[in-house]
Amino acid sequence: MIVGSQKPFDEIWEMIQSFKKILVLGCNTCVAVCHAGGSKEAEILSEMIKVKAKQMSHSIDVNSMSVMRQCENEYLDEFMDNIKSTDLVLSMACGVGVNFLSDKINAVPVYPALNTSFYGGVPKEGLFIELCAGCGNCILHLTGGICPIARCSKSLMNGPCGGTDKGKCEVSKDIDCAWFLIVERMKLLGALEKLYDVQPPRDWSTSFHGGPRKISLEHIKAYEEQQGGQIR
Amino acid sequence: MVIQEQTYRPYGYEIKEKRPFSPCRSACPVNTDVQAYIALISTGRYNEAFEVIRSVNPIASACSYICHHPCEQACRRCSIDEPLAIRHLKRFALEKASGYRRSKRRILKNTQGKNIAIIGSGPSGLTVANDLADLGYGVTIYEKHLALGGMLASAIPPYRLPREALQEDIDDILSKGVKAILNCQVGKDISLNEIIQKNDAVVIAVGLSQSRSLNIPNIDSDGVLLAIPFLTSVVFNRGVKIGKNVLVIGGGNVAIDVARTARRLGSNVEMVCLESAEEMPAWKWEIEEAMEEGIKIRNRWGPNAVIKEDEKVKELEVIKVLSVFDKQGKFNPSFDKNVKDIIQADTIIITIGQMSDNSFAKDSPLKIEGGRFSWDPNTQMTNHPSVFITGEVVTGPGSAIAAVASGHKTAHAVHLFLQGQLKPGLLPNFEKEKIEQIPEEIKGKIKPQSRLKILHLEPAIRCQTFDHFERGYDEESALKEAGRCRGCGGGAIVDSSRCMACLTCKRVCPYGAPIVKAYSEIRPEFCQACGLCVSECPAQAISMVSYDVREIRDNMPVTIGILNPDRKIPVIAGFFCTHHVGVKGFQVPDNIRVIPLSCVSRLDVLDILKAFQCGADKVAILKCPEDSCKYESVNTRFSLRLSRAKKLLQMLSIQPEKIVVLSELEVGELGDNHFFK
Repeated sequence: MIVGSQKPFDEIWEMIQSFKKILVLGCNTCVAVCHAGGSKEAEILSEMIKVKAKQMSHSIDVNSMSVMRQCENEYLDEFMDNIKSTDLVLSMACGVGVNFLSDKINAVPVYPALNTSFYGGVPKEGLFIELCAGCGNCILHLTGGICPIARCSKSLMNGPCGGTDKGKCEVSKDIDCAWFLIVERMKLLGALEKLYDVQPPRDWSTSFHGGPRKISLEHIKAYEEQQGGQIR
Repeated sequence: MVIQEQTYRPYGYEIKEKRPFSPCRSACPVNTDVQAYIALISTGRYNEAFEVIRSVNPIASACSYICHHPCEQACRRCSIDEPLAIRHLKRFALEKASGYRRSKRRILKNTQGKNIAIIGSGPSGLTVANDLADLGYGVTIYEKHLALGGMLASAIPPYRLPREALQEDIDDILSKGVKAILNCQVGKDISLNEIIQKNDAVVIAVGLSQSRSLNIPNIDSDGVLLAIPFLTSVVFNRGVKIGKNVLVIGGGNVAIDVARTARRLGSNVEMVCLESAEEMPAWKWEIEEAMEEGIKIRNRWGPNAVIKEDEKVKELEVIKVLSVFDKQGKFNPSFDKNVKDIIQADTIIITIGQMSDNSFAKDSPLKIEGGRFSWDPNTQMTNHPSVFITGEVVTGPGSAIAAVASGHKTAHAVHLFLQGQLKPGLLPNFEKEKIEQIPEEIKGKIKPQSRLKILHLEPAIRCQTFDHFERGYDEESALKEAGRCRGCGGGAIVDSSRCMACLTCKRVCPYGAPIVKAYSEIRPEFCQACGLCVSECPAQAISMVSYDVREIRDNMPVTIGILNPDRKIPVIAGFFCTHHVGVKGFQVPDNIRVIPLSCVSRLDVLDILKAFQCGADKVAILKCPEDSCKYESVNTRFSLRLSRAKKLLQMLSIQPEKIVVLSELEVGELGDNHFFK
């Protein structure tokens, strides 16, 4: 899932203080799971804005609500009247939601209350770790299920760099060296020899370096092209 | 469809109706929402507790003294320690709400333009009167005694039921415009036929007012009395005379009433009954109380003959009982006539059961077969279409609250009849599915908390007076006892349309109640209604069946109040756990605006923020120490929330010291504590 965390409150206040009517819009899927942007956090943030506004003698009308996902039309549609009738939407979604909603309403600004961080897992309550970089060209079968793109600080493809130190990364002692982990895992899997295959330079065009990406389901795309309109 | 609306619906009524009931509620013949009113008591909301109780029980005050409380026998705490003292808490709530109750009395108009006569004013008759008056009918009750209440007024001794309590119930009903014709014996003072002619419907609610006698030699001797006439004479002060040595025949609850009444008239009392101590039909606690008062019980002896001298009772010859019940479990006593004993007595009171007195229906169209009225339990109707019948006269002997249930059914039947819609299958059904017992695997997580003792007058003192012998709870005790409730059936529910199965509830719940698949489902038999999951759910998908989780926040602008900006004394929002602070929490200086909570498990980060947003200068939180909190994990979750709240406040440049967590000790000195100044 997508993991995010809230921006510092001061930064949020700077962004929004000139608006009179604000809707804090929670997103109840990924960012709710990481307790950053769900319905609950939207309400907390709106209370904070109210307190701040009072302190600053600003008159701001703040409301909060939430939708299941801000990145899909159907979830947003029934709330669009509410969303459009405000001066500012302070979105608690990840960047996807902010973009999606901005594109959808155009005329009302949509500001981000979160910093979108990474695709992560939840090893335990309250901890979220980055495990995938969404590069568009998965090689996890070669590396024992440990992604060197996401988990190696340098995204190296052929073993650790000289900065590896007793299983830790030179960037920080808090970061495991992904290649150390890969070697240990391959030993366990009895597939260490696979690592002798040298990986050629990667084609990064499937990653962001090829520009913004888009995926269409082929059969639907073909149908639509044939019919000359959207499937319904 | 004509539906009799319940007058007051506690929070969550609609949801609760669709889910299995708490065992206490399911066990109650009228499904009183015990969990709801106990929860209200536990936060000092006594008037609402009264409303919950009264909405289904028109003789609530009487029941708060005499009910055999099947709710307590069903309480899930029984498998942990002792049941909640539900009847006692009911009494407490009703006493606390008495002013409110009186202020709510209103006359109701006969909007239906139809009149109903009720014969008999016991629990069932009163219930019919109450319900039909609520529905806008004109109701007249015919009562043969000088007081309304049936057995409650004319037979139950005042040491068990103070008449002022019963009067509260009756005043409620009479205030609705119900007419009562007292001292009027139907069949003698007015004929049943005349009543049938004059009314659109008639309800027979005569109960079982006649004592059964025994068919043994010399039963007609002087000094042999029957239970009900004896009790009635005592209640109405008719100067009944009994001897020094009284023998009561019977082992039921009425026999105990008779024995204890005779004891209070100064006699030595002995009971003789067929059953063994364990088999006696009287309630165990009644037997114990009787024995405390010096009443002796001879078990497993059957009366064989009265021995008289100069027409007066001298002795009772008894024979040994071999068994009371046959192999099929039916009452069918067998005796060993060779084993005899003689018990001396100058008065014998026969208390072996009651039957109905049907003489009032002589020369009426009502069919009586084998001493019983013919009737249809699906419609409560007799053979005459406008005459209905209710209560023990048809159901047989039972409890007051069971008679109330019968009364509700009958009132509903009469209403449907008068609307031309009566057919079988439409009457209320009080048989409801209940939540399972507490699962074994979580029993260890439920702290035993002993039931708060109910104080009785010393036996030596109480058996000299007809004063009520049981001391009610004071507010402190009531709050403590109410805090023992596990909130069965009032726990968490998930709105599946908001849940994204994030597992937070499962991680937070100390009792393993949530099962998370496509969305979370919270198993009611596991849920202890602590509410921890509610405040942690990031999607706000969880709510509580029994209380409005948003209520605290929604009411806060009012609770905290409109503030004087030039105030010298800070205004403090006080989130107080009532189980811990008790009554002291309600007696604080004006500047502390108390928001009573059943536990800080319900206190959300949002609530703390909201308090500041509403203008509070500081927040005081009062909670139980970890070892005495009724729930698991609350301390951990609470401290996490507290540190989050403090962080958020810091972002708003509000010092974290503006939140203080107090112990009970400090609350005692609230006025002196510098935090509050």
